[in-house]
Formats: sequence, C-alpha cells, structure tokens
Amino acid sequence: MSSTFLPCGKYHEKYSQDHSWWQTTFIKGKMIALFAVVLILIPNVANDYWLSIFNILGYTILGALGVQLLIGYCGQLTLGHGAFIAIGAYISSTLLVAFPWPQSFHDMGIAYPISIVIACIASGFWSVLFGLPSARVKGFYLILTTMAAHFITYKFILEQCAVSFTEKGNNFSIPYNHTKLGPWLVDSISDVYYLMIIFVVISTVILANLIRSRVGRAWIAIRDNDISAEVMGINIVKYKLLAFFVAGFIAGLAGVLVVINAHMFNIEYFEWFLSLWLVGIILIGGVGSIHGVIFGSIFMVIVMELLQTGVDYLSYDIPELLQQYQWHYLAAKLTNLSTAFNYIRESVFGLLICVFLIFEPHGMAYRWQQIKNYFNLWPFSY
Amino acid sequence: MENFLNVIVSGIMTGGIYALVALGWVLIYKCSGVLNLAMGEMTLIGAFVTLSFYSMGVPFLLAIIISLIIGFLLGLLTERIFLDKLIGESILSTIMLTVGLSFFFKGVVQLIWGVDNYVFTPPVFSLEPISIGPILFKEVFMWSFVAAVILLIIFVSFFKFTRWGLSMQATADDEMAALSLGISARFVYSIAWAIAFMAAGVGGTLLGNISGVNISIAHMGLTVLPAVVLGGLNSVPGAILGGITIGVMESLVGTYVDSWLINTIGVPLSIKDIAPFVFMTVFLLFKPYGFWGWERIERV
Repeated sequence: MSSTFLPCGKYHEKYSQDHSWWQTTFIKGKMIALFAVVLILIPNVANDYWLSIFNILGYTILGALGVQLLIGYCGQLTLGHGAFIAIGAYISSTLLVAFPWPQSFHDMGIAYPISIVIACIASGFWSVLFGLPSARVKGFYLILTTMAAHFITYKFILEQCAVSFTEKGNNFSIPYNHTKLGPWLVDSISDVYYLMIIFVVISTVILANLIRSRVGRAWIAIRDNDISAEVMGINIVKYKLLAFFVAGFIAGLAGVLVVINAHMFNIEYFEWFLSLWLVGIILIGGVGSIHGVIFGSIFMVIVMELLQTGVDYLSYDIPELLQQYQWHYLAAKLTNLSTAFNYIRESVFGLLICVFLIFEPHGMAYRWQQIKNYFNLWPFSY
Repeated sequence: MENFLNVIVSGIMTGGIYALVALGWVLIYKCSGVLNLAMGEMTLIGAFVTLSFYSMGVPFLLAIIISLIIGFLLGLLTERIFLDKLIGESILSTIMLTVGLSFFFKGVVQLIWGVDNYVFTPPVFSLEPISIGPILFKEVFMWSFVAAVILLIIFVSFFKFTRWGLSMQATADDEMAALSLGISARFVYSIAWAIAFMAAGVGGTLLGNISGVNISIAHMGLTVLPAVVLGGLNSVPGAILGGITIGVMESLVGTYVDSWLINTIGVPLSIKDIAPFVFMTVFLLFKPYGFWGWERIERV
C-alpha cells in the first residue's frame, strides 16, 4: 500500500513504485515548481535582507533536522544541540583562519572543504561523546547530560580554551578570499544562499532515505520501545550512538553555514537559547516528521523576524511619523519605550510557544496532513 | 589545614543555597513528573518581589511571607492557565511549555524591574564574617544553610505524613491509579506548582542577599542541575545532599585545581564552573538514577 494518495485508475505494479518518492505527476510537478522557486525565483527577486533571512532559515532547518532525528526518530531527548552546532562552527572557522595552510591550498580552494569536513566529523564525535550516557540513562537524565554538553562546550571550550590557546579568541571575522570551495569563491550573500540550498537538500535527502532504511527502522524501534528493540536483536547502543553521530554531523554543517552567513565567528550566537529554540521548532512543526522540521523552522524564523520588525517599527518609524505631525511628546515617549518593546517581544515569543503547544499539540505537520486529506477526499470525506 | 577547612565550610554553605534552588526542581518533578526549566525565572520573581516589599519598608520576615503568598498565587495561576491544558500530553511538550514560560517570565521581569542590579538596602544580614575557631563565613550563608535544613525537614515530613503529600507522590508514580483512588490530579498539580514557586522565592531572596538581585539569578536555576541529578530527581534529601556535594566540589576545584592549572601547568583555565557538569555526566554512567532517585523497573 502506497503512502501517497493515488488518483483514480492509477495502480502500482512493482514494489519499488510503492516506495518511490515522487509517485504522481502532480507531485512531480509540485516538486519541480518548488525547486524552480527556490533556485531561480528567490535569488533573482529577493534582496540581500531577504536572502540572509533565507540563510538563517537554512541553518535553522539543518540544526532542527538533527534534533528531529534524535528526538523524533530515535527518542533520545536532547537539549544541548546548540553545542554541536557551535563545535562545527568553531572548528571550521578556526581551522580555516588559524591553521598554517600553504597559500596554494587557499588558491586552489582545498582548505575550506577540508576544514568543513573535519569540523563536521569533529562535531559528530563530540555529539557521540555526550550521547554515551544514553547507553545507560534515558528521559530526563539524558536531557541533563545533553545540557552538560552545552555548558562544557560554551563555558569551557568556547569561553576559555578558545581564548587561551588560539590567538583569534572566540570572536573573529573570516577573510572573504579564504572561503573558496574549489573554483567557487563563496563571498556574497547569494553564494551563501546556494551553498545553503545544497547543504539542506543533500542532508534532507540523505536523512529521509536513512529513515526508511534498515538503520531508520532500528531507530524508530528504539524510539517506540527500546527493550523490545533490544529483544528483536537491534544493538541499541550502536544505533543510538549512530543517531548522535549523524545528528552531530548535520549540526556541524549548520555551524559552517552560521559562520559563513556573517563571515565571522561570534560566540554569542551559541547561547543555550539556540538548543531550546531548535527543540521548540520540532515541537511546533511536529515530532517525527521531516515536513515538521521545515514548517516549524519557517514559522519560528518568520515569527522572530515579524516580532523584531514590529519592535523596530514601534520604536523608530512611528516616532518619526509622529514628529512630522509635531507630536513630540508622544514620539519621545515611544522612543524611550524601545527597550521595553524588546522585553515585550521576548515574553510574546514565550507566550506564542505556550499557546501553540496548548492549541496545536500535534504540530503543523499533522495539520498539513489533515488539509491534504481533506482535499484528497473532497467532496465525500467519508 | 585551616585553609582546607575554610574551603570545605564555604563549599557546604554555598551548597546550602544550591540545595534551596534544587528543592524547587525536585518538588515539581516529584509531584507532577515535569522537569521545570522555568525554575530560574521563578527564583528571580521571588527575589524581586521580596526586594520590592523590603525596599518599601516592610520588615524582612514579613516581606518573605508576602512573597510566599504571592508565589503561592502565581504558582496556582501558572498551573491553571498553562500546564493544566497539557495533562496527558507528551513529556517533551510539557518541558517545552516551561521553556516558553521561562521566556515569558523573563520578559515580564525585565519589563517591570529592568536589568539593573538591586541590593537589599539596608543589608539584612551583617557583612562581618562570623568566626568559629579558624573558620570564617558570612552570616547570610549560615542562614541559607539553616533555611535549607528547615525546609528539608518540612518537606520530608510533608511527603511522608500528610494526606496531600502522599497523594502527590501517588500522582507522580501513576496518574491513572491515583485518579481511580479519588485523588484530584488537577489539585495536586496546582499545589505542587504553588509550593515550588514558594520554595523558589525563599531561595531567590537568600541568593539576592549574597550578590544582589539581577537577571543572573535566573542562570542559577540551571547551574544547580548537577546537584539535582546527583541526589536523584525525586528525592528531597537527595537535593540537599547533592547541593552540598556540588558546593564542596566546586570550592575544592576552584581553590586547588584551578590554582594548580595556573601556577604549575601555566594554563589560565578555570574548570570550577564546568566541573559539576563533567562530574554529573560521568556519574550518570555509573548510577543512572542518582543516589536516591526512583529506579524505574521496566517490563515489556
């Protein structure tokens, strides 16, 4: 039985057709249209501001994919995923900037790919290190060890080791002529956009295929009941650690994008907030679904941007307007309130998460499925 | 030797404060099975409320009592408005809800009180250190230690001997069974949040007396996590013992290991802050439920 809804009179004759990704012409057309929008329309239409928002969206999706794999598919609660992103970002940027590469490596564009790969592998193993307790503990206690990952990475590696052992410290910019992938110099925001698209598409495809393979079935079995999974002959420690490695690897890619989007490494981005935000994304998008990652990321990034725009509007644009109409008193009042608006933004953000969890507990992916079903079955939904 | 004793005593005293904050975590977990990540912000609210009343001229003890009452009401409200709706949902949703709450609380606190550092004026506890033999410590540390011990006795007897305490433990153990025995889960949850808010208020007030009341108190709520884990998430005496262990470890590491790193090895690193977390991670490998946490025996 195929998982997609087939139109009247269309039947599958081979099992491989049941498992193919794009089963109907409509889906093929839809996906090609999506690629056209993403690859051609957006880079041509959007200005730099919007492109940078898309880049933020891109690395948010990559980070959330790892969290989704750990929480949604393997059942390993994690609240420290930001640490692995930070490691990926830090190692890729330090290797590129501080390692004594021969000049020819920079010219040929080998230095950057090598540092990306090393950073991803390092953050994968860093993630495995903190996944090790998962062999013994689960649930809350695992949350706490992943939180330890954050504190150890942030407070020790980034705040202290980075400052005392390397010259660059934990806040440095990356020269624009160094980020060269082979012949391709990634220096403008639209270059980063294409790089982001490549990373996101590749990781999504790999992850989606991993999940429906033997490995993915093992992960899902562990999520549903780890004791039964062990009884069935699945080596749960191996598969749990593999999940941590893959999640860490993708987090490393996200970290690379975080750095290259701003062409600088800034420690402040990797506060604990990042980990919480990623978990929030998959809860809002829907746990156990790749659609959920994308929907959740879009929702959270847009909400954050809208709130920020609202704050800017209230504290700069409206006062200016009021000045024009000679309402100086009100304008001054509003400008004075601009810090207050920032605090309000923070609490509104918190409230939004709460409201979403209360009223849409299954996430946006579930709602999406409902909408699709409604139209597939229309007009007779019984 | 004197130095060593001093280090140990100051560790125990700091541990008393950790224990106070850790108590709040344990209480909510023990009663409702929720890991409450808004604990730091609740501590902050408690500290600010007491401070506001104290600066208005209310005597210190009365200010604490008022903040306890306000904490009780806020706890009830929070539970009724937010957490009540999520009974029966997955644990992760509930945890994330507390994260949302923590942003909300933090924003509101900053909106009302700003980000400045406030101190209790005039100081409640004398700044002169007390000396017993060669050992010196500040008065406020002694009082927080005493408060931790008193609260320990109160809560342990509350959970052991009172009807409410027993019904809370029953609800945390098996909600369905508790409901069928006529325990109102909603009532239990709201009381749990009210009590946790009150405990956080006491902790926050004492913390505020040490280094002033500011937003960094909220981070304290997270740094005490190793203490909670060490004792086991659902053990009140465990929280106290874990707090003291972590306090002593921190002060020992801060005094001896850090100076050894700087003077002998020549590396300017401070591992005082992360030592508890490293210890916790390794500790969990050997004792997955802490010292006194409930071991869940799973059956397929």
